[in-house]
Amino acid sequence: MEQLNIESTKFTPEIKFHPDSNTLELKGRSYPENTAEFYEPVLMWLEDYVEAPDDVEISVNVELTYFNSSSSKVLMNIFDMLDEAAKKGKKVMVNWIFDEEDETIMEYGEEFLEDIEYLAFNLIAKDDGDDQ
Amino acid sequence: MVQTLYDFKRDLSKRGIFLSFSGPISQDLMVEMGATLKQKMKLEDASKSSVLRVFAMVVENAQNIIHYSAEKYPRKKQNEKACGGEDPVKCCESEELSLGIITVGYEEGYYFVLCGNMIENEKVKGLKEKLSKLQGMNKDELKQFYKAQRKQKPDKTSKGGGLGFIEMARKASRPIEFDFKKIDEDLSFFSVKIII
Repeated sequence: MEQLNIESTKFTPEIKFHPDSNTLELKGRSYPENTAEFYEPVLMWLEDYVEAPDDVEISVNVELTYFNSSSSKVLMNIFDMLDEAAKKGKKVMVNWIFDEEDETIMEYGEEFLEDIEYLAFNLIAKDDGDDQ
Repeated sequence: MVQTLYDFKRDLSKRGIFLSFSGPISQDLMVEMGATLKQKMKLEDASKSSVLRVFAMVVENAQNIIHYSAEKYPRKKQNEKACGGEDPVKCCESEELSLGIITVGYEEGYYFVLCGNMIENEKVKGLKEKLSKLQGMNKDELKQFYKAQRKQKPDKTSKGGGLGFIEMARKASRPIEFDFKKIDEDLSFFSVKIII
């Protein structure tokens, strides 16, 4: 699968595909000035994945501590794409990872979960202090 | 001027405003202002969720100003000239600055974010209707509306997702307050206050 390697900045997340584990990871904060432009390579990568005939099982780990409203729209767009892929039989899973004390991010995860149908979407609370 | 600066500062304090910026607003400025705001609120022992909510309101408003303020610097014509023969649209987007006001304050036990910018008169009606509609919605209606808007296919003409004000209304503890002041034939001043 294609490479995807975007380093984080103060206001954009790290986005990486790890080929060894077939995991796409989005980690950090997301409030770019031009959200559509920032996420364009990610959406293109996902389109390639969705359209590829081979049946590689991938996990998408989303671990964002803050995202603005336009990022929320892009995330919905991504989950809709994956939902459609799952409907067609692609093996894909989303892990929505949040700090166990962060109710806001947990609630966002729950709302995304309400809006998808076929995709495996797991809400995963992470123990605080476990990470750093 | 130098003798009245203190009056200006005192006027801000009287309104409960503890952070303010008026002028060209950039993404970098907003990021740093947001970081300092968070630090200040943490020092005041504000709850984690109010810090995040206030921060999020500043981000949404600052990005609205950056994308939609009708007051830009340099003005488009000047900028096209400065760009020479290069793609004027692309050039303007990267070079221009948007002007507006961002303030954050505290009154009667609540934090508030009060922001403003110039908008084109022809956009006033649409925005007024949108905000009035949000004012009349309860939390559950706001949630449903937010989710319905989010499911819409991305609008190529909108620089954001069209979700900013709905997000603000959902995070606010009272309905969003707003005002439009007609300045001249072309422009009005739009103000919005979100109480968290």
